[in-house]
Amino acid sequence: MPVGKRRSSLLRSPQFSSLVILIVLLAVFAIADANFLSPLNISNMMAFLPELGIIALGMTLLLTAGEFDLSVGAVFGLAPVVVMLLVQNGEASIGVALLAGLLLCVAIGAINGLIVTKIGISSFLVTLSMLLVVRGAALYITQGFPLKSWDQPGFFVTLLAGSFNVGSFRFYTSLWWFIGLSLLAIYVLRYAKLGNWISAIGSNRNAAVARGVPADAVKVWLFILTSVLAGLAGMISAFRISAASPVAGTGYELEVIAMVVVGGTALTGGRGTILGTIVGALMLRAIRNGIVLIGVPGLAYNIFVGVIILAMLILHALLQKNAARG
Amino acid sequence: MEVLRLQNLQKSFGSVRALKNASFALNEGEVVALLGDNGAGKSTLIKAISGVFPIDRGDIYVRGEKVSIRSTRDAMDLGIETIHQDTSLAPDLSIARNLFLGREPVKLKWLGVFAPLDLAKLRGAASALLKRVGISKKLDADALVSTLSGGERQSIAISRAMQFAAKVIILDEPTNNLGVEETHGVLRFVKEVRDAGHSVLLITHNIHHVFQVADRIIVMRRGEIVAEQTVADTDLLTVESIITGADMSALLKETRAK
Repeated sequence: MPVGKRRSSLLRSPQFSSLVILIVLLAVFAIADANFLSPLNISNMMAFLPELGIIALGMTLLLTAGEFDLSVGAVFGLAPVVVMLLVQNGEASIGVALLAGLLLCVAIGAINGLIVTKIGISSFLVTLSMLLVVRGAALYITQGFPLKSWDQPGFFVTLLAGSFNVGSFRFYTSLWWFIGLSLLAIYVLRYAKLGNWISAIGSNRNAAVARGVPADAVKVWLFILTSVLAGLAGMISAFRISAASPVAGTGYELEVIAMVVVGGTALTGGRGTILGTIVGALMLRAIRNGIVLIGVPGLAYNIFVGVIILAMLILHALLQKNAARG
Repeated sequence: MEVLRLQNLQKSFGSVRALKNASFALNEGEVVALLGDNGAGKSTLIKAISGVFPIDRGDIYVRGEKVSIRSTRDAMDLGIETIHQDTSLAPDLSIARNLFLGREPVKLKWLGVFAPLDLAKLRGAASALLKRVGISKKLDADALVSTLSGGERQSIAISRAMQFAAKVIILDEPTNNLGVEETHGVLRFVKEVRDAGHSVLLITHNIHHVFQVADRIIVMRRGEIVAEQTVADTDLLTVESIITGADMSALLKETRAK
């Protein structure tokens, strides 16, 4: 492909238009309130960003394969709660408890995936039911009370929620998790054989199956991956704020899906972009943070978030139409 | 030389006997058209050969050797490639990625599904293939399949089958939803495929197309093969009457007499 052509297709790609809008948004917030770009505020945004961003990476791969998962917010809440109950009841050391928590996520993802692929119920219904089961379980086993999380300094706290300073910025190790997992996800989706399969399954499942691609197995593993990432994000969050609440992560499933589609991944499968998701995650974080700073009343702020997401989706749809015509 | 032989294939779905007792052979470098009304058992037959589901009874021979086909992968490994009407390509993937879907050239093979695609090889092989089948002038190996026309998509799907040195290429309604010019393009392509030494099993509703490209005609009715003729020995009307089961030529004589 000639360089010029490649460049113009990059300019027209959904992740690029999302990036432009992100930059515009950041500029608007920065001009409206000088504190927006202060080290403290950037540090704050970067503390939250990885937790939803990590889930969004798994969700991007899953959406690209044509499925999605509404139970991630509930898993985000349940995983750390289970870990802390095991530790507080003296049944396991923190390391073993974390491992048990992640295995529970594997099981939840596997159940989601197996029901979707083997019984053939839409992932919307399966994971919606799973959301209720998982959230209900978190509430029941804690009797609705938040647990004090693990706060003794040590290997696991450093690994999941350690912090470090760069100049006057304060970052958490979760940022490294997010960067590392993002690079892995970019590699898998764009350069690995598996990524080719994932896109093909979401684009035309029958075609993929006819070429011998194990579509069901790939989907099950992606459900497991998404669940595990949601659990990991929940543990990171619980360690950072030293509390594991059974209602943590409520509504995250929609926030994460918004991040992914705002970045340009198609809700219908086949077209996924990790770079777009990173931009989408940054954008939703910046919006949530920025509109508070510029003084939008707290209760009105979902209006703005919703409108901006809608605007983004309309933009993607128009670009898509244009590309099809050109 | 005989490439594929089916002997007494049977397949039932519950109480429906979709395939009663189908036998035929396919020779090297020949185009055989499989005709029949809806529900005649054509798609059951090709699905059995391409490994979509196993047969209940009967034998399949590839180049004289008895084989068992349990999956689409088995069929492909035996050199049987099936091109379904609309389900052959992933529209959101590039031509190159579609051509090698499921058989991607990779580096660092030990990484399994995480192995990186050999993008240079992928693109190079795709361009070479497009050039060989004579459609490279218009098509770029990096173009998304969603930007192609129906005829171009069929050509891509057929070239993919040829590329894997398929002995038998099964085309399921390849000219459905195509314009006149595109249809001629695809039919011309089918002849080229035959001239390159591949055997083609063509499933279609359009008898006119059959007379343009096929060497032999096989007609199915109610799960059975009811006729097998070379194109030279028959004509459109005869074939049509065999398909429907009504004696059309007699009918025609009658109307003419009146």
